[in-house]
Amino acid sequence: MAKEMIAMILAGGQGSRLYALTQKLAKPAVPFGGKYRIIDFPLSNCVNSDIDTVGILTQYQPLVLNEYVGNGQPWDLDRLHGGVHVLPPYQQASGSDWYKGTANAIYQNISFIDRYDPKYVIILSGDQICKQDYSDFLRFHKEKDAEFSVAVMEVPWSEASRFGLMVTDENDRISEFQEKPKEPKSNLASMGIYIFNWDVLKAYLIADEADPNSENDFGKNVIPALLRDGRRMYAYRFNGYWKDVGTITSLWQANMEVLDPSHSGINLFDESWKIYSRNTGNPCQKIGSDADIVNSMITEGCKVNGTVKDSILFPGVVVEKGATVEAAVVMGGTVIKAGASVKHCIVAENVTIEEGATVGAMPEGGLDIANPGDVATVGSDVRIGKGATVGPKAMVSNDVKDGEEQW
Amino acid sequence: MVSNNTAALGVIFANTYDNLVPELVTERTMASIPFGGRYRMIDFVLSSMANSGIDNVSIIVRKNYHSLMDHLGAGREWDLTRKRGGLNVFPPYAERSVKVYSGRVDALDSILSWIGTQKEKYVVLSDTCIAYNIDFNKLIEEHIASGADVTMVYNRAEIPEGARNDNYTIQIKDGRVTELLSNDYRPGPQNLAMNIYVLERETLIQLIRDASVRGLVYFERDILARNLSLLNVHAYEYTGYAARIADMKSYFDENMRLLEGDNVDALFDPANPIYTKIRDDNPTRYIEGSRVKNSLLADGCVIEGTVENSVLFRGCQVKKGAVVKNCVLMQDSVVESGSSVEYVVTDKNVHITADKQLTGTESFPVFVAKNHTV
Repeated sequence: MAKEMIAMILAGGQGSRLYALTQKLAKPAVPFGGKYRIIDFPLSNCVNSDIDTVGILTQYQPLVLNEYVGNGQPWDLDRLHGGVHVLPPYQQASGSDWYKGTANAIYQNISFIDRYDPKYVIILSGDQICKQDYSDFLRFHKEKDAEFSVAVMEVPWSEASRFGLMVTDENDRISEFQEKPKEPKSNLASMGIYIFNWDVLKAYLIADEADPNSENDFGKNVIPALLRDGRRMYAYRFNGYWKDVGTITSLWQANMEVLDPSHSGINLFDESWKIYSRNTGNPCQKIGSDADIVNSMITEGCKVNGTVKDSILFPGVVVEKGATVEAAVVMGGTVIKAGASVKHCIVAENVTIEEGATVGAMPEGGLDIANPGDVATVGSDVRIGKGATVGPKAMVSNDVKDGEEQW
Repeated sequence: MVSNNTAALGVIFANTYDNLVPELVTERTMASIPFGGRYRMIDFVLSSMANSGIDNVSIIVRKNYHSLMDHLGAGREWDLTRKRGGLNVFPPYAERSVKVYSGRVDALDSILSWIGTQKEKYVVLSDTCIAYNIDFNKLIEEHIASGADVTMVYNRAEIPEGARNDNYTIQIKDGRVTELLSNDYRPGPQNLAMNIYVLERETLIQLIRDASVRGLVYFERDILARNLSLLNVHAYEYTGYAARIADMKSYFDENMRLLEGDNVDALFDPANPIYTKIRDDNPTRYIEGSRVKNSLLADGCVIEGTVENSVLFRGCQVKKGAVVKNCVLMQDSVVESGSSVEYVVTDKNVHITADKQLTGTESFPVFVAKNHTV
C-alpha cells in the first residue's frame, strides 16, 4: 500500500550545547513546556497534518527517547500499516556504520522508506519547537511541481548571516543557497524542513554516498548538488512560531514564551492543533494554603506550597512552604525544599534542592525574555545541598555539598 | 504475575448504589461518576486490579452506561487491551430487558456461562462506590491461606448517613465472619463491608446456580448471611484510604477530604498509580491576578480569579474577579467574571455567567446539573 508522504525525523543530535541537560538523553527527548518533550512537536504536527508514517533517526542516548515514543499510541501513531518507528543505525551485510551525517542517516534507511513506496518524503528536525501544518507545505510543493521544497523563515537582514539562506526569484524558485554568508543576498533562512520527491531524493542519496569526499549532509552536499543540476527547487515561506532550542538560553526563552502566547506567537492552548504527549499518570496538582502563584504553568502531580512566579513546573515537582521559584523552568520530579530560592534557571529532572539553597538569580534589570543574560542550569538527579549556592552563570551536573558555592 | 495458580478474574458491578446519588447518575452510572479532580469511580477498582496483575476483567452494566463505555474505550489506559482476557463489558441481554436484573445474583447469573468458560481459579467481585487503592494479591493470598470459601473485605468506618438503609456490617471471630447485619445504624466506627469479595470461580458458579434456582436475588443477604455456619466466610480488613460515596453530601465531603494532609498520597500511591482516560490537556495556567489556596486542580484549567478549598476537574475556567470557595467543579465548568460560588458542586460543562452569586452550605451544597447555564 503506497503512502503519499511519510516523515523522517532527524533526532540523532547529541545536543552538546545543552550540556548538563543532555548527559543522559538525546536532545529530542528534552522536556519542554510543562508536560511535553521536544519530539512531541514534530510528531503531533505529523498527526495533525494526516501523516501516519514516521521514522525517527536516533543514535545518541536513545534509551529515554525509545521508551518515550514506544508504540506511538499517545500520538495516534500505532497503525496497522505505518505508524512510528525508531530507527537506530544497524548492522547490514555490507557492514555497519554510525549515521555519518543527516543525508547518510536517510541513506541507511532507504529500504525502510521503500517499504511504504511514498511519492514524497518530508525531512524534519527533532530539535525545534514549531507548530506547522505540513499538509499546507505539501500543497505548495505540488502546486509548484517542485522536486525539492524547503521551509524558510524571513529573518531580519542584520541577523541573516547566521543562517543558511535561500536566494529565490519572484516565483519562490531557489537560484542559490548561501550557508552563513558574510554578505547575504536573501533573508529567507532555511528551517531545515524539506519535502523531496522520493525518486529524486533516493537518486541523490545514492550518488552522495558514492562520493568519498562528501560529508553526507543535506545542507552541505545534497542541496548544493540539486542546485548544480538545475532541479526544480522552491522555498515555502512559513510565518508561524519557530525556535531552534539548541542552547540553554533559547530553551529557557522558548519555555518563557509559552507563558505569554499573545506576544510570543507560540500557542500551546490551541484546541485545533493539540500537542500530544505521553501521560505520566500523576494525580491532580495540589496547591497548599501558603502557596502564591503568579503567571505560571503547573501540571499534574505537582505540590506547591511556596511562591511560584513566571515559571513552568513539570509533572511531580514539589515546592515546599517558604521556597521561591521565579522565572524558572523546573522539570519533572524535582523537589525544592523550604526556604530555597530558584530563579532564572533551568532545573532538570529529579533534582533535590535542599533547604535554604540558592540556584540562579534574577538579573539586575529584572526579567527580560528577549535579552535574558545568564541562565543557571542544574542537570538531572543532582542534589544541591543545604544552604548551597549555584551562581547565575553556573552549569551543574554533579552534587553540590551543603554550604558549597559554585559560580 | 507469572505464577498462574492464584490468577483471578475481576468482575465489577457498575450500577450498584446508583440510587444513592440520583443527581449524579441521571446520565451515567455509579462507575462513571467523576471523582478526585480527574478520575471516575471505576478507575480505582480497575487500576487496583491492573496493578495486581488481574488482566481479565468483566464489567456488568445495567443502564445509563454510555458515559462509562466512552470512558473505558478499549481499556488501554488500564493496560487491559488484551487478546487473552482484557476488558469485557456486559450490557443486559435483549431477552432479559423485560426484567433488568436487580441484584448481584441476577447480574452474575446473566454471565454465568461466560464465567464458566474462563480459566482463572479465583474471582474478585467489586462495586464502584468506594474509591480505594488495594493490593488484590494480598487479599487473594490471605483468602487461600485462610482456607475460607469466601473472603469479604471490610474497613473500620462510620456508617455514612446516606448508607443507613444500604449497608452491611460484620461481626468477626478469629478472622471468620459470624454475623452479617444489614442496614446497621449504630454510631461510631463499625466493620463496614466494602462489597469486595474473593472466592473460587467454581464456588461462585455453584452458589449462583443454587440461589438462582431458588429465586434469590441478593448475594449478601440471601447467600452469605443465611449460610454463615455452613459457609466459611473470612473477613479481610482494608486499612488503606477509602472514600465512600453514599449520597450527595458524602460525594462533596469525600472530594473535600482529599485536600487534607497527605490524603492525596494515600489514595494515589505513586507505587500503585490510579489510571484514567487521557485527555491531552495543557498544563494549568495561573494568570496574573489569580489567587489559589488549598485546592486540587487537574490539567487544562485557566485560573484568573480566586480559588480556595476546592477541587477543579480538567478544563475548568475561573475568570477575572470570580471567586470559587469550597466547591467541586467538574470538567469544563466555567465561572465568569465577578461571579461568586461557594459550597457548590457543578456537574460537567456548567456555565456560571457573570456577576452571579451561588451559595450553598457545608451540609447542603448546591448542585448544578450537567450542561446547565446559571
